[in-house]
Amino acid sequence: VVSRRDFLGAAAAGAGLLAAARAVPGQQATGLPGAEMSGEGYLPVRLPPKPGAEPSMTPDERDALERRIACPCPCTLDIFTCRTSMPCEFSPAIHRDVMALVDGGHSAQEIVDAMVGVYGEAILMMPRKEGFNWAGYLMPFAAIGGGAAVILGILRAWRREAEAAPASEAPVVDATPDELARLDAALRRDG
Amino acid sequence: MTLLGELALWVALVMAAWGTTVSFAGGVLRTRSLITSGERAVYATLAFVILASLGLISALLRSDFSVRYVASYTSANLPTPYKISAFWAGQSGSLLFWTLVLATYAAVAVWLNRRRLPELAPYVTGTLSAVTLCFLLVTAFGSNPYERLSWLPPDGRGMNPQLQNPGMAIHPPNLYFGYVATAVPFAFAVAALITRRLDAEWLGAVRRWTLLSWFFLTIGILLGMWWAYVELGWGGYWAWDPVENASLLPWLTGTAFLHSIMVQEKRGMLRTWNVTLVIATFLLAVFGTFITRSGIISSVHSFAQSTVGYWFAGFLMVGLGVSAYLVSTRLRDLEATARLESMVSREATFLFNNLLLVGIAFSVLWGTLFPIISEAVRGTKITVGAPFFNQVNVPLGLGLLALAGIGPLIAWRRASVANLRRQFTGPIISGVVAGVLLLALGMRDVHAMIAYVLGAFVMGTIVQEFAKGARARRVLYGEGPGAALTHLIARNRRRYGGYIVHAGIVVLFAAFAGLAFKKEFDVSISPGETFAATDPFGREWTFASNGVSRFEQLNRQVTAIALTATRAGGQAALITTEKRQHVDSRGAPTFEPSTEVGILETWRQDVYVVLAGVAADERAEIRITFNPLVRWVWLGGAIMLVGGLVVMWPQGERRRAEGGYLAPLEPAAATAGD
Repeated sequence: VVSRRDFLGAAAAGAGLLAAARAVPGQQATGLPGAEMSGEGYLPVRLPPKPGAEPSMTPDERDALERRIACPCPCTLDIFTCRTSMPCEFSPAIHRDVMALVDGGHSAQEIVDAMVGVYGEAILMMPRKEGFNWAGYLMPFAAIGGGAAVILGILRAWRREAEAAPASEAPVVDATPDELARLDAALRRDG
Repeated sequence: MTLLGELALWVALVMAAWGTTVSFAGGVLRTRSLITSGERAVYATLAFVILASLGLISALLRSDFSVRYVASYTSANLPTPYKISAFWAGQSGSLLFWTLVLATYAAVAVWLNRRRLPELAPYVTGTLSAVTLCFLLVTAFGSNPYERLSWLPPDGRGMNPQLQNPGMAIHPPNLYFGYVATAVPFAFAVAALITRRLDAEWLGAVRRWTLLSWFFLTIGILLGMWWAYVELGWGGYWAWDPVENASLLPWLTGTAFLHSIMVQEKRGMLRTWNVTLVIATFLLAVFGTFITRSGIISSVHSFAQSTVGYWFAGFLMVGLGVSAYLVSTRLRDLEATARLESMVSREATFLFNNLLLVGIAFSVLWGTLFPIISEAVRGTKITVGAPFFNQVNVPLGLGLLALAGIGPLIAWRRASVANLRRQFTGPIISGVVAGVLLLALGMRDVHAMIAYVLGAFVMGTIVQEFAKGARARRVLYGEGPGAALTHLIARNRRRYGGYIVHAGIVVLFAAFAGLAFKKEFDVSISPGETFAATDPFGREWTFASNGVSRFEQLNRQVTAIALTATRAGGQAALITTEKRQHVDSRGAPTFEPSTEVGILETWRQDVYVVLAGVAADERAEIRITFNPLVRWVWLGGAIMLVGGLVVMWPQGERRRAEGGYLAPLEPAAATAGD
């Protein structure tokens, strides 16, 4: 049974949380492919070709580069993957830009930097490993490490308690006493 | 019928409000008439939600385009099965469908437990009614499927072509069955916390409902993977999309609970943790709904912008607040009745298994929310895509796989060195042999190698456990190998069903590791031309274009290319891939073109062909992908589901024997003087 004090405490907590929920930031449009596009969509990325330029990488290396670039459509895929499968107008256009930059002799890093310069960091499939982004990479492992440390601490404390207390519990075995007796006999018979 | 359905929605809302009020009042005042009234309100709510659902289905089937929802998601020429699946294809319809599933579960849970747990029952009824009320409020006020248009359009907008797929017709309902089932354990947890009846009594019902949720979530996730693979055409089955992640979160915490509950049942430990996991699983299911429907995160799967996100944010906050309050004020009642005696024990491995499962859930949640966090902290938008999730979760997943092999080998309470040596020898040998074989075969990918070695280790554990159990039965009962194995599983379904699930997980991991060897080719090919490629196994393939064809089919215009694929020394096979332009009943194009993938499936690999486009000179742009071991993903999933069914299958009454033994009540035991 809930006491009046508990009930009022819960009601106050609930009211506070409801008030907090009203402060949820505004919502952005999203949708199925072809319905609505998120972000700013396609923006041309152009760099002048280097003198006497030749393609700076092989098609395989270019594909690998395109896997590092995120498509602005809501597909959450990279340019290489999106451009043949999704009904998307952006990834084929960005692919053409990448091909032009490769033909212009620009390196993978220069192309990535140019893309980031135009679209911002969101054009990368994963955040750069720098500054606050490290929190993204390290937090899961830190949380698990912290959890492991807490568990180990609790286990040690429990073990000390168990060692201090006299053993009183019967062993927990998933069988009836009758089954155990027969198992014991069979094992003895089996040698 | 449309008007009747709309009226039924409002009456259901009133019924749920009544059920919530009188059930909690009945529980507090201990008044039987109020409790009974609350139970009846649950059944009445279900009846009216069914009526409301039938009203919408009727409007969809009749193409009543005066209803905005019908006009937004269907067209007159939409095939009938998809008119029915349109019930859950859009925002407001799927909310009503969700409510229908919830009302059904609530009625079943109340019916099954009305006498079994009399003290908890009113609070279970009240909590389920409250959750139903929340969903009815969102449906009625936030996104009403019965909203009318001020004019009557000649045809509807139609259904997104990518949703016109059998997998998509059945994938969302299964996910909803799974998501919604988490509400019942949550209701039991709330009831147990309110009444402070936190012994093992409530766990029985909670375990069954969590298993049901886990089972449907597994089906839903697998069907979603299959749909993504055959329909979206990007060559994979899991993209770490926020909405995919949202379905994984309650699955992970639910799986953690299904493991840790054993520690509470056997040893009386982890009581606070188990209650927390039950609550977290439900709240993560609501969080998934929030993500899918609020529009805060961009996803291919999310619904269009609406205000329902605010409702779910409020719901989530209230649920979190009430749960935190209840748990924090009941910590003394949740204290463990036993203590861990050794770090080398089954319960310790379960703890680390839970740590990794919850850790993976956290990392998925963190990665999903990190773009929002980054924007809030730095004011910079970033993308957290598949490479991030793979980098963080692959090591954690491999750790989890290792624990699936280690856990069953270690005894409860305390394992001796001799016991460890005896138990681990076989599985370790199988892992080492697999590693040596793969090295000899030339495998050099580190992650794949670790996955296969650990997979062999876990399989060694599973085979050893089955072999030992079957051998014991043969000695005890003189049964043949087949009968011993069958009876072994039948007599201890939880344990051996669990091992079958583990076997499915191993097959899944092996299949996932196969993706490390995926090969893709972009090809521009004219009719009559051929293209040669080498697959990941070093075998030569030739693809010959049989030409491009264009035709009309149902509600779409199709452009298709047929390829003859021939493996050196093998038979030729025909692979057809299409681009589809869907049209409305007047022949006008709707939506963007969609892709229909051509797949040549074998146990070794899939040859996956996507038509990107066709130029005026009939030259087709295609992508050919060799996807190793994809069929094993579906097989692994099927094995997991079989294991889940074995675990869920009702078993005869069990009793707790004197002296702490947990044992099945069998004839042999009955004759022993029980």
